[in-house]
Amino acid sequence: MSEERDQHLILRATHNATATQRPTLLFVDDEERILRSLKMMFAAHYRVLTTTSGLDALDILRREKVHVLVSDQRMPIMLGVDLLRQARAVSPNTLRLLLTGYSDMEAIIGSINDGEVFRYINKPWKADELRQTVEEASAIAVGLESMPAATPETIASGASRTILLIDHAPETASALSTLLADEFAGDLADKLQLVCARNLSEAVGLLETHEIAVVISEIHVGTEDVTPFLKTLKHYHPQIVTIVLTSFQDMRALTELINQGQIYRFLPKPVRRGVTARSIRSGINRHNEIRTTPQLVHHHRVPRPEKEIQPGLFSRMRGMMQRMAENGNAR
Amino acid sequence: MEHLTNLSMSIEPLSPMTSVSAINDLFLEERFERLLSLPVVENGRPIGVISRSKMQRIMATRFGREINGNKPIHSFMNPVPLVIPISQSVEMACNYVTSNISYPITEDFILLKDDVYHGVGSVIDLLRSMETRLMGQNQSLVSMLSALKASQAQLVQSEKMASLGQMVAGVAHEINTPLGYVRNNFEISRDACTQMRGLIDAYDELLGMLQSGAADEQAMGTQFSLVQDQRETIDAMFSREEMDGLFGDTFYGIDQISEIVLNLKNFSRLDQAHVDQVDLNECINSALLIAKNVIKHKAEVVREFGDLPKIRCAPSQINQVVLNLVTNAAQAIETSGTIHIRTRAVGAFVYLVITDDGRGIAPENLKKIFDPFFTTKAIGEGTGLGLSIVIKIIKDHGGEIKVKSIPGTGTAFCISLPIAAIRPSNAIDAQENKGYLQ
Repeated sequence: MSEERDQHLILRATHNATATQRPTLLFVDDEERILRSLKMMFAAHYRVLTTTSGLDALDILRREKVHVLVSDQRMPIMLGVDLLRQARAVSPNTLRLLLTGYSDMEAIIGSINDGEVFRYINKPWKADELRQTVEEASAIAVGLESMPAATPETIASGASRTILLIDHAPETASALSTLLADEFAGDLADKLQLVCARNLSEAVGLLETHEIAVVISEIHVGTEDVTPFLKTLKHYHPQIVTIVLTSFQDMRALTELINQGQIYRFLPKPVRRGVTARSIRSGINRHNEIRTTPQLVHHHRVPRPEKEIQPGLFSRMRGMMQRMAENGNAR
Repeated sequence: MEHLTNLSMSIEPLSPMTSVSAINDLFLEERFERLLSLPVVENGRPIGVISRSKMQRIMATRFGREINGNKPIHSFMNPVPLVIPISQSVEMACNYVTSNISYPITEDFILLKDDVYHGVGSVIDLLRSMETRLMGQNQSLVSMLSALKASQAQLVQSEKMASLGQMVAGVAHEINTPLGYVRNNFEISRDACTQMRGLIDAYDELLGMLQSGAADEQAMGTQFSLVQDQRETIDAMFSREEMDGLFGDTFYGIDQISEIVLNLKNFSRLDQAHVDQVDLNECINSALLIAKNVIKHKAEVVREFGDLPKIRCAPSQINQVVLNLVTNAAQAIETSGTIHIRTRAVGAFVYLVITDDGRGIAPENLKKIFDPFFTTKAIGEGTGLGLSIVIKIIKDHGGEIKVKSIPGTGTAFCISLPIAAIRPSNAIDAQENKGYLQ
């Protein structure tokens, strides 16, 4: 009996040894009790690493393969958003999640723009939801393992460079078109195309007729809330990179835009040239990367939106997505 | 806008050749009863004024009427009358009259329209009209003052809300962290419980088989290994040490949350008397717990508390003073530093000194820090009312606050409070200014 048991333990041990193939999670939080709790929750299906220090976490990322990084925001020495930013450089294929009890606007914006965060989760979290999100992230990360690391930001030739602006304010359109002409004069000015929509209906129309690489959008156009549109667009067409350019700042809306809209950049208005130009450049680059390496699209996958946009617009969008997909297959 | 027109009386002027006795008779007429003087005009131009008192003096001298009665008035009149253009404002007219008139007042003033004689005005009427105007202005100043007071109250309220908001956000984080693992641990425990129930069911089944003696060996064997498998799964997933640790952590987390909630209650004093005998050291501890989230990643707090007698004060206000000063201290520290908090009792006073080693206050700003609306923070980040509220609270308590600061080295705030900080007679005042954080 005890022999049998020993046998079993040995088996288990070998099972553990082969389990290095289990996805690796790295949790970072300055509260050890959080780490213990998370470890216990995930240990059955993942290899779980934990640390209370951001510096330590970076060491781990340099040393070994980590599929998913889950970090707190408010920590001494290194903030979560700084860890995410550096983690992105050290290990670009590690999916990054923030798990935090309190955050300010600056941190959320930083987590989008610098950390390219996959999901933003509030404390206290629901175990099932966290489990599901981590599972999703790790599945994507495992899929990315075969990918080459992200290439430096140069713009491939022959790809779509049409930018769709959704904003009812004419000054945004003119600011953006001057910016494109000036900032991209050296390489792309004549190849970049800017099309502008003043409302969602126009936006869908332009998406039907143009192959869009990057959408730059306000959150509110006229009386319309663009958020559901951006979520739907991302769900059906994750390769279109979305940049939000807005004067509206609301933590909950932003969290939604991360978790369900996977927005690529968040730029507060007014338009600032340097950062906007950089964002567009890397957005176009990202779009091209996804087109040439379709697996990368998973990186930006979002769930189907719970709240659909107005029925008419939605069916138009879906029809458009189908046609786009067929065109893509035919090519 | 009041006009001098309203004050003008149309009086037919005297010619310079009118005789003294004729004028004397005029003064006795009813229609001139209200006048102190009569104007003397030549070709529309006022050239003098003759007063009732002057006339009385002429007539009262011996043989006055006999000697001077037939003489023309121009040799007796005052040749420099008070002359005012009718278009002038009441204020200007008043100014002119009061600085040029001789006392006692014996003359009226002459009004000109387009440089031509228009009428006569009474000084008393002018002054009365001025008084009415001043009263009106006074009234509007009073209502302006009360409007200002109301908007100041609103600003104090918004400062209160801002610091409250900051505090709530901090406390939310403090609670969400333990709540995070408490909830997760509870879910893990529930999973463990479900699995253990399954194991118990499997044991029951096995026990039933053993008791009935009817089950065949193979079924028993299968059940036996089922039990064993489940048992091992549970052991692997929920080891006893881990479960013990989990329960320990959970209780710790719940205690933490309770402590925060208790402390919030202590801090706000919602359920306690407004004015009370309070231990200042306890106020400080309570404020420090509330400010923990702001302080903990930046500064180490060193407490050097002396033995203090209880002071009679409004504790929610004193809590707010400490919270404000401690938060300022933490904000003055760039990355990491130390906040020293010392208390002691000397004579009839208790002293509180809060020192930080942060960036300090520029000398030119030091005089202004207690002024309402003075802030070095960016617009929207602070109302600039924090320290002005602090100084008001301290003064209401009969205390004093002093500040010393060296840029680059740090800042020290020293507060003294009388042990009988609020006497019963002041308690009503304090009640009116109700705790800023209540």
